[in-house]
Amino acid sequence: MSSSIMGPPCSILFLLLLLVARAAARPLYPLPSKVDNGERQPLQTSRPYNIAHRGSNGEIPEETAFAYLRAIEEGADFIETDILSSKDGVLICFHDVTLDNTTDIAHRKEFADRKRTYEVQGVNTTGFFTVDFTLKELKSLRVKQRYPFRDQQYNGKFKIITFEEFIAIALDAPRVVGIYPEIKNPVFINEHVKWPKGKRFEDKFVGTLKKYGYKGSYMSKDWLKQPVFIQSFAPTSLIYASNLTDSPKIFLIDDVTIPTQDTNQSYWEITSDKYFDFIKQYVVGIGPWKDTVVPAVHNYLQEPTDLVAHAHAHNLQVHPYTFRNENQCLHFDFHQDPYQEYEYWIQKIGVDGIFTDFTGSLHIYQEMTTPPHPKDGGNDDHVMSLLHKIALLVSPYEKV
Amino acid sequence: MEAAALSRGFIILILVLYIGAAGAGRPLSPLPSKADDDVKKPLQTSRPYNFAHRGANGEFPEETAPAYMKAIKEGADFIEADIQATKDGILVCTHDVNLDDTTDVAEHMEFADRRTMYEVQGVNITGWFVVDFTLEELQSLRAKQRYAFRDQQYNGKFPIITFEEYISIALDADRVVGIYPEIKNPVFVNKHVKWSDGKKLEDRFVEMLQKYGYRGSYMSKEWLKQPCFIQSFAPTSLIYISNLTDLPKIFLIDDVTILTEDTNQTYAEITSDSFLNHIKDYVMGIGPWKDTVVPPKDNYLESATDLVARAHALGLQVHPYTFRNENSFLHFDFHQDPYVEYDYWINKIGIDGLFTDFTGSLHRYQEWTSSVSKM
Repeated sequence: MSSSIMGPPCSILFLLLLLVARAAARPLYPLPSKVDNGERQPLQTSRPYNIAHRGSNGEIPEETAFAYLRAIEEGADFIETDILSSKDGVLICFHDVTLDNTTDIAHRKEFADRKRTYEVQGVNTTGFFTVDFTLKELKSLRVKQRYPFRDQQYNGKFKIITFEEFIAIALDAPRVVGIYPEIKNPVFINEHVKWPKGKRFEDKFVGTLKKYGYKGSYMSKDWLKQPVFIQSFAPTSLIYASNLTDSPKIFLIDDVTIPTQDTNQSYWEITSDKYFDFIKQYVVGIGPWKDTVVPAVHNYLQEPTDLVAHAHAHNLQVHPYTFRNENQCLHFDFHQDPYQEYEYWIQKIGVDGIFTDFTGSLHIYQEMTTPPHPKDGGNDDHVMSLLHKIALLVSPYEKV
Repeated sequence: MEAAALSRGFIILILVLYIGAAGAGRPLSPLPSKADDDVKKPLQTSRPYNFAHRGANGEFPEETAPAYMKAIKEGADFIEADIQATKDGILVCTHDVNLDDTTDVAEHMEFADRRTMYEVQGVNITGWFVVDFTLEELQSLRAKQRYAFRDQQYNGKFPIITFEEYISIALDADRVVGIYPEIKNPVFVNKHVKWSDGKKLEDRFVEMLQKYGYRGSYMSKEWLKQPCFIQSFAPTSLIYISNLTDLPKIFLIDDVTILTEDTNQTYAEITSDSFLNHIKDYVMGIGPWKDTVVPPKDNYLESATDLVARAHALGLQVHPYTFRNENSFLHFDFHQDPYVEYDYWINKIGIDGLFTDFTGSLHRYQEWTSSVSKM
């Protein structure tokens, strides 16, 4: 290379470019399959949404790339995630404020001295907190399956991913797949992590979505191309975000004993008619814990509350959490059959979306009972494709 | 004078009829819904059979009347039962040789002294044994749900039922429902229970079936009206009864380490081509434990053995046991989804019937995936 002619100006130019590139924080290079956008199968909107809660975490450690890829393969309408932050302000996909239950942090001698006790939503919690680790350090850890009764074979294999990596997985899917990220523990995060120029967690969250082209109100053309629901337990975060984006938001509601982390309001207050009247200006729906919608006593369902009716009367969607196949998570009314539980909630209670740990099972249920494109002239085609889909679930994940 | 003779004659007639009836063991009066036999929806024969293993025992205590009635309501093709004998020689539906795990016998002070120890298939078992209780005593007990993680709300409500009561539940159904009774622990039962006429459990078993009109070879006209499979782990019992009835029989096969109770043969021997070739003259199918057909390792399926292929090659049906919804029973390949397990066994392995604790789930799966043409 004839550097003698180029010399110093070239290197300065190069340096300049580098600086510009870094400052602009260029989006990840779009993966090939993203290109033919027009060809992609659109989001189904004719039946309740199949929301892959933390990815297909019934099978694979939660919130990992593989869990999300699997959920997409199994038919998820949306892949769901919890967004927290690292020490250096990078948004990551991770559910707990601490790393203890879902990573191998306990085996990492180099981090042994990072154990802390912090107050989280009024409770003193001890452990290794994500906010005390840089992204690089977090990436050195390996994720494990949270529940001992689930498949342990992937423990130690996968890393924590960033919000951006999660988005790339959704955008790269061969069909339109929505994202459903949560502004998680915003009070705690904003207390422990500071961003330059006084930006808050909510700003960075929405900023990331906008960077990747997520915009538009519910069911708008823009939204249907890149569907998204923003969820949070903190009403003020949702109200704040509504000044930044018109992407649809969902107000999460915890168990009856838990007050909101930011406004300290009780379950009864935030599910009152008056409150729904207020919050519906900012959100398109609510995400309640299902045992508060239809309470259970001695593992039997009681009479449903009127929460769904109230929400629907205010034009609020209802997306309850969380549906799991394991029999200890199923009330006896369902006879240890997750499909009967889906049937009850979809047909009897009439919800608009379902957070499930078992994307595949919900997808099969919905395909069996409400196929999106019923074929004419005989059932055979649909049944064959359904059987094929079920058969795909019995797979040893050869691609790994 | 005439009146006295007449009334005496009348009394004698009544007496004769009564004794005759008692001696013949008159069948229970058929329940009303049995009347229109021809109108009853027939047994489905186009897809693998749904066998309600011990009734719908995922929901109700096993082998009780409600367990069977619920199974019928949920769509079972056959209701399955284990037949043993009481001290006074009555055939009852109960699975274990002892009463400890499925009844409240431990709470009955009056039977406290009946607790004992017997050898059963080479293993010493302690408890209260069915063969030490008369029918009346047994029916004073109440059934309970065997598994702690299943619904306990019916504990203490339902009694053990007799083979006869079980049959009447099947015959009373508003569609054709088959029965699938097992000659259970015949070596043990015949050792402890003696009938005055020198007959054995196998004789009494077949007599009961014949009394209620169960007869005919597989798929014959009579069989389709009252379908029945007779099952047993004991090959000699099956061979013995093949001289008494042409009802179809199924040879049950236990885990790879267990020997047959009567002939002391190993798993390897009774699943060999030569044995299957021999037994197929007497039975029309086998009922293996599913983990021996496709063995698991670390809760993952390994390659399927060739048992199904070889059985099918000899014209033998395969009815594996037992399918359960709870995740602790589902290998990880199925992702805690019982429907995925059904799909694997029906479409990949290609079996002819399934013993399930969750009749309703299997029925739903089959209804949702059935099509007009046979797959």
